Amino acid sequence: MARNSIGLILNAHMPYVRHPEYPRFLEEDWLFEAIGETYLPLLRMLRRLRDEGVPFRITMSFSPTLCSMLSDPILQGRFTDYLRLHQELGEREIVRCQREDQECIPLAKMYLNSINTNLQEYFETYQCNILTGFRDLEESGHVDLITTAATHAYLPLYSEYPSAINAQIELAVQSHINHFKRRPKGFWLPECGYFPGLEDYLQKEELAFFQLAAQSLILADQPVERGNYAPVACPNGVFGFARDFHLTNLVWSNTEGYPTDSNYREFYRDIGYDLPLEYIRQYIHAPEVRVFTGFKYYAITGKGNDKRFYHPERAARKVQEHAANFLYSVHQKGEKVAPLLDREPFYTLAFDAELFGHWWFEGIDWLEAVLRNAAKSNDVVFETQLDYLKRYPESQVLQPSLSSWGEGGYSDVWTDGVNVWIYRHLHKAIERMEELAIRFPDQSSLKQRFLNQAAREVLLAMASDWPFIIHNGTSSSYAEKRLRDHLGNFNVVYENMCKNAVNTEWLVKSEKRDIVFPDIDYNMFNLNSRRNRYNG
Amino acid sequence: MITPNIDALSLVELRYIARKQGIDDAEVLDREDLLEALQEMYEEMESNISGDGSVSSPFTQQRFMNTLVAHDSNDTMGTLPGVQCLPEGYSETRIHLLLKNPYWAHAFWSVCSTDIMKLEQSSASFSFFLRVSIHGASERNLEADSFDVDVSRTDTSWNINLPERGRVYSVSLHYKDTEGNTGRLCVSDTVETPKSYWLDHVDALGKDERQFSLLFSSLVSKGGNMVENPLLREVVELLDERLGG
Repeated sequence: MARNSIGLILNAHMPYVRHPEYPRFLEEDWLFEAIGETYLPLLRMLRRLRDEGVPFRITMSFSPTLCSMLSDPILQGRFTDYLRLHQELGEREIVRCQREDQECIPLAKMYLNSINTNLQEYFETYQCNILTGFRDLEESGHVDLITTAATHAYLPLYSEYPSAINAQIELAVQSHINHFKRRPKGFWLPECGYFPGLEDYLQKEELAFFQLAAQSLILADQPVERGNYAPVACPNGVFGFARDFHLTNLVWSNTEGYPTDSNYREFYRDIGYDLPLEYIRQYIHAPEVRVFTGFKYYAITGKGNDKRFYHPERAARKVQEHAANFLYSVHQKGEKVAPLLDREPFYTLAFDAELFGHWWFEGIDWLEAVLRNAAKSNDVVFETQLDYLKRYPESQVLQPSLSSWGEGGYSDVWTDGVNVWIYRHLHKAIERMEELAIRFPDQSSLKQRFLNQAAREVLLAMASDWPFIIHNGTSSSYAEKRLRDHLGNFNVVYENMCKNAVNTEWLVKSEKRDIVFPDIDYNMFNLNSRRNRYNG
Repeated sequence: MITPNIDALSLVELRYIARKQGIDDAEVLDREDLLEALQEMYEEMESNISGDGSVSSPFTQQRFMNTLVAHDSNDTMGTLPGVQCLPEGYSETRIHLLLKNPYWAHAFWSVCSTDIMKLEQSSASFSFFLRVSIHGASERNLEADSFDVDVSRTDTSWNINLPERGRVYSVSLHYKDTEGNTGRLCVSDTVETPKSYWLDHVDALGKDERQFSLLFSSLVSKGGNMVENPLLREVVELLDERLGG
């Protein structure tokens, strides 16, 4: 019986959002929800499996912006405040449910328990920095940690600017080494955005592989020999792994995926929106800005607003069914595919980590069940891209096709009618940054800090999140504000440097505001200096 | 209630908030007076929140983010103080071409005022057009074909339909005057549209069951939905035609 290898990659990413100038800030909740609902429960589950001796190997990507925020003492303190506030809400909820919604008492207790466990582990196990937990899993050989573009920029739209792509990748590797004390071996392409030639930048940073959208290989300009069931080697020897859409869609699809099951918890019904303002006010973001609190008592049920209460035990049964179904699907696929191949098939499953736990509440339980059952099966194994490359070092040499995992498979999401205007300014800022790096190479002291701040602002403006949020129309004013701020801040440096001046007061304020990438070197925008470095 | 950390705001920003909140004399108050007036107003608003959570104060409460963004405001972002105004274009004559997908590209350009002045001096009236050049994939500098798109003098961007896959494109901005004189102002870098091998070998794909199965079994969901991609759809439609024929 052929062995089916599953190469799971989870990409953990959040845009850089940090506003210490406000007592509470709505968009910082993105990070706190991800830590509380995905990263901590995921760590808990993976460590449990490891401690019980369940064999598994997966790959996880951590974006440099996320790493920076997870290590930031101010945000760590704010996450603690967030947990304590929700702990208080949980305690009040139990009392309220005893009075008004008795059926919800076990759910309120379940959420409160989860918050208490998060608090305890956050302090006692991880000393407020959960990256140590993932580093520990890498050291024990259960997780391969890889990196992604410094600010998660969608790279195909910057193919004209080698310096900017180089900066995104070089800085990402540097940041990964700072946080995880190891050089990453792989690279998560933000949004699976690939253009032919991107692998050359990866090779320079000794990155061995990356993941691709499902259609990248079939649409190449030569025939792919093993479909998406084995990696291909780009002409320079960096490996590309294309996603398996069939298996991915069992989980990812919002129409036919497991998370749509009516027994699972409904994400959008939350007491932050459902309960009267006088009760919920102190747990939301204004008298009138209602937000998710995480206390959600309803099951998906159906398409209408009339929802049943959520029953965790029913959902748990579904989790087991869906885990079994997934492994059965892999098995069936292997039966069909393995005889067509000259080697054991490899299925690349690549997801945003936040799907599990945050968006799909039962997702982490499902993943645990899949990993446990796979460990007991004869024909399914979870191994990493590097494991597979060790077993099969020879691959077909093929140049993948331009692609992304966005709607339509190309760059439409990031260049639609409402967000395409940003590239006029982003491209100009990159050109000006290149100009500054060439005109003022190897500066020291204040000028160096000033130029480093300019590089920081350009990179933060390049994040794929801003055009994506503008495209989606949710929080779009915040995304647009951030873009404008970073570009405007960059222009402050550019205009001052053109006058050979440094605005010290502004610089100190800016460095305090954006403490991301403390070791940034603006010279990375001068490709000539970079070439000398590589040649030297 | 979320209020800005007003101590951290500049005078311009404080005046803006004060004006928005209906404080009289916002324009003439100094920083200390503005801080005091806003603080008083926020305290008053807190005390005016009624039992059902509604604000009975006559003030319109707004949420301000990262110095100044009025949440749910109708103001155009660029017009808010504290929000960076970006120029419509830059003082240069330049054109860029962004590839959106194999069928469409987005061009954006600017023309510097010196060039506009020169054109105005040489002709009473002139207009612009874009020339889309199609090159062979291997010989990027060799223009094989081209077509023109008229644009108005106030346009600064345009979506361009690309007729062929597997070709290299560039776009240049030209002027033409009433006497029929034309000239090129700037030209973009090239972009290359992808092309699948299978578009030209669809017959072979139709005959090779193993290949077909290897390629498509990972691209179709359990419910029969294929990865959303126009080029892939083209391959499948061609295949359908050939097999149907």
